[in-house]
Amino acid sequence: MRKALNTLYKAATALAACCLLVIATLVALQVLGRIADYLMTAGGFEPLRFQVPSLAEIAGFLLVGASFLALAGTLRNNDHIRVNMLLQAVPAGAARLLNIWVIAIALVLAAFFTWNAAQLALDSYKFNETSYGVIPVPLVYPQAVMTLGLLVFAISLLDDLIVALMGRAPSFETVVKADPIEGKE
Amino acid sequence: MDLSVIALLLGLGMLAALATGIWVAVALFSVALAAMFFLVSVPAGTVMATTVWGAANSWDLTALPMFIWMGEILFRSRLSEDMFAGLSPWMRNLPGRLLHVNILGCGIFAAVSGSSAATTATIGRMSLPELRQRGYDERMAIGTLAGSGTLGLLIPPSIILIVYGAATEQSIARLFMAGVLPGAMLCVLFMGYVAIWALLNRQKMPEQEETMPVQEKLWATLRLLPVIGLIVGIIGSIYAGLASPTEAAAIGVMLSLLLSWASGTLNRTSFVDALMGATRTSCMIAFILAGAAFLTVAMGYTGIPRELAAWIGSMNLSPYALLIALTLFFVVLGCFLDGISVVVLTTSVILPMVEQAGMDLIWFGIYLVLVVEMSQITPPVGFNLFVLQGMTGHNIFKVAKMALPFFLLMILAIVLIVAFPGLALWLPQAMQGG
Amino acid sequence: ETKWDMPTPYGDGNFHTQNIAAFADEVKEKTGGSLVIQIHSAGSLFKHPEIKNAVRKGLAPIGEVLVSRLSNEDPVFGVDSVPFLAPSYDQAWKLYQAAKPAMEEKLGEQGLQLLYSVPWPPQGVYAQKEVKEVGDLSGLKIRAYNAATERLAILAGGVTAQIEAPDIPTAFSTGRVDAMITSPSTGANSKAWDFVSHYHDTQAWLPKNMVFVNKDAFDALSDDEKAAVLEAAELAEKRGWEASKVETKTKTQVLADNGITVVQPSSQLIQDLAAIGETMAAEWQAQAGDAGAAILEAYKK
Ligand code: NA
Ligand code: NA
Repeated sequence: MRKALNTLYKAATALAACCLLVIATLVALQVLGRIADYLMTAGGFEPLRFQVPSLAEIAGFLLVGASFLALAGTLRNNDHIRVNMLLQAVPAGAARLLNIWVIAIALVLAAFFTWNAAQLALDSYKFNETSYGVIPVPLVYPQAVMTLGLLVFAISLLDDLIVALMGRAPSFETVVKADPIEGKE
Repeated sequence: MDLSVIALLLGLGMLAALATGIWVAVALFSVALAAMFFLVSVPAGTVMATTVWGAANSWDLTALPMFIWMGEILFRSRLSEDMFAGLSPWMRNLPGRLLHVNILGCGIFAAVSGSSAATTATIGRMSLPELRQRGYDERMAIGTLAGSGTLGLLIPPSIILIVYGAATEQSIARLFMAGVLPGAMLCVLFMGYVAIWALLNRQKMPEQEETMPVQEKLWATLRLLPVIGLIVGIIGSIYAGLASPTEAAAIGVMLSLLLSWASGTLNRTSFVDALMGATRTSCMIAFILAGAAFLTVAMGYTGIPRELAAWIGSMNLSPYALLIALTLFFVVLGCFLDGISVVVLTTSVILPMVEQAGMDLIWFGIYLVLVVEMSQITPPVGFNLFVLQGMTGHNIFKVAKMALPFFLLMILAIVLIVAFPGLALWLPQAMQGG
Repeated sequence: ETKWDMPTPYGDGNFHTQNIAAFADEVKEKTGGSLVIQIHSAGSLFKHPEIKNAVRKGLAPIGEVLVSRLSNEDPVFGVDSVPFLAPSYDQAWKLYQAAKPAMEEKLGEQGLQLLYSVPWPPQGVYAQKEVKEVGDLSGLKIRAYNAATERLAILAGGVTAQIEAPDIPTAFSTGRVDAMITSPSTGANSKAWDFVSHYHDTQAWLPKNMVFVNKDAFDALSDDEKAAVLEAAELAEKRGWEASKVETKTKTQVLADNGITVVQPSSQLIQDLAAIGETMAAEWQAQAGDAGAAILEAYKK
């Protein structure tokens, strides 16, 4: 179970990273196309007129994938920002309760959000919503990706809630960072 | 219930949520949901999904993860070390020495990045480890970065000026021109402060390095070539018509990979680490941005910012008193809402007052950017604070304290552009004449 | 008292928004303050792409969008953007009347009701040189922002360039784009004289904005309130069409005053563009099927 869950979080984050990689590649292709046309025109040749169609819209959709699929991985690497002054000031028992409260709130939000994102995607599917640009992308696809990212996030929060309730440290509290600019509290 | 009481309760709710250690993004979403549930009769969950979808699928926003990724790649290459080694001999006689790199670096980077978070993240990733390793005062290293990171908004291109220009039908090109001199002025103010601070706090500055013979100095300067090449490549791609400012961010990634490869630091591990680091940092920021976008819409429904602004309008203040009132209003609201949201929510109410007071709308745009810049470093909701907490591990309130002198310098900058409106208006007017 | 939140895409200075403000005032007055419309301009509540769905789902009872934004959803919403099909206010009005039943039906399927629709000023060609015939456009990078403008650029022999609106000045001054087709309003507001020299008054098409309500929200009003809204809408439509004509005149003058050469297109250019228009009208009809054929037939009557 633990292994399967960790694989799920890792896979989602890896997919998010792939989205960023694809954005960079598409933009680079577009710019290379312009450079090539510059050179062709300067050399007296017919330009290639290469275009990545609907680049702006598609990059926007990929960004949704990058942002939402990484939510769980970011949580487990303790990269979501929070203020933990109080947590560090109170005794261990109280800190445990605080962490349970924090995870529970986030879990309720994530679950509610997942449900509503799913409704959004479903609605786009029913009404055949598409993007506005040159390529009419059915919005249900990127919205389903957003829902998936939120679902994995909710699962990871449930995971951490159970761990915290059983009296162990949640994933984000056990991260050790070997970062040279990491400060101390 | 009175709107100001509701506003106060929401603000306290946000502080309480953050104090108990709830993640910033989750706190923003929760406060917005509470406001929607109790004050508005539309389905809050549907609004949340719709708004977040609209805010998250954004072409302009793609520049942010690209620049963050670029910073991660450069951080793992030798480039920042080279840059500091190259600059060091030249700055040894300038009080404050390499602290100025933060300010100038942000100033130059602001010329390609329209966002303050991207500017802070990219420059900080490169400069903070170097400054720390060289023994510079951490408070100043982080403070200068928090302050000058906001230049991303003032020096063109700028996301906030695009938003303002679209809402007020002002020429975006003119607004961009108007930001240039105030941006340079802010750089000078920051550098002046750093110099004075360094003169007064000699014991906090690292040991002076040995003087170098001229030949060695020139040799060290050669190490600046890669970073100069990178800057020329990115800015050049925009001005040569090869890339839009948003596309230039991806060019930055490609050039950084190239430099990293050329310096022999690119391998499978460093590539994957940089990409994963960038993915997580941009996810963190995007999630907070999503929460801020939803809170903006919730506030739009409740009408709180609009009513507060209208209340200022009802006082019939003189132009200077109006500016003071507006500045206070923006600073207070800017603590809890993203600065750009405040502009979006209140332009409709504020612009008629501003026009009636006889202020120039281009000038007012620059004033607004300065106030929005301030909101980036006021706790609890300030994007530069989030970026720097993520990078340094110091909590946002501590970072905000380090940034306080720069907040005050921005107030001074506002006073200066009020006293000398030409600072903002001269360039765009010269452009009109030409 | 009922309060309606109304998201709109354009800023307060825009003539569409000003017309909506007058409409809101009138509704308030006619209903004796029992229905108040709170305008959220410049995408401050929902951004342009989200407005239609926000109204459909009842997140806002009323809203405004550019009609052709919905053309990927249904070609019926793209008829006002077929180039040179209706190149004047009178023809645009006639086309609107021909298309209105189909538009109302399509909106009705989504639980939406059309209140009124107002055109933008006619679209002209902005370029850095005078365009005497379509051949002059060949090889130029022409701005395209949706399927129709892309097709037009290709038929004119140009290279399409995808440029987002705020990026236009930079794109022109750095040579990523050489020409664009838009209204004198947009040209004047973005101070087009900073980056182009010629404006060709081709009146290619008159894109429209529309104001529409959520049917359930409308049905929940009292009969008096319903009547007040419909009356105010009718007045707003009339006022909006006149305002659009005034806007065309003043903004074209602004362009001229700032040194842009305003070109009345040569008969050769008109002829060339009309030929492209015919091709695109045929393509549009094929896409829009029976509904499209019915619109064109009613229009040509
Ligand atoms: Na900038
Ligand atoms: Na703030």
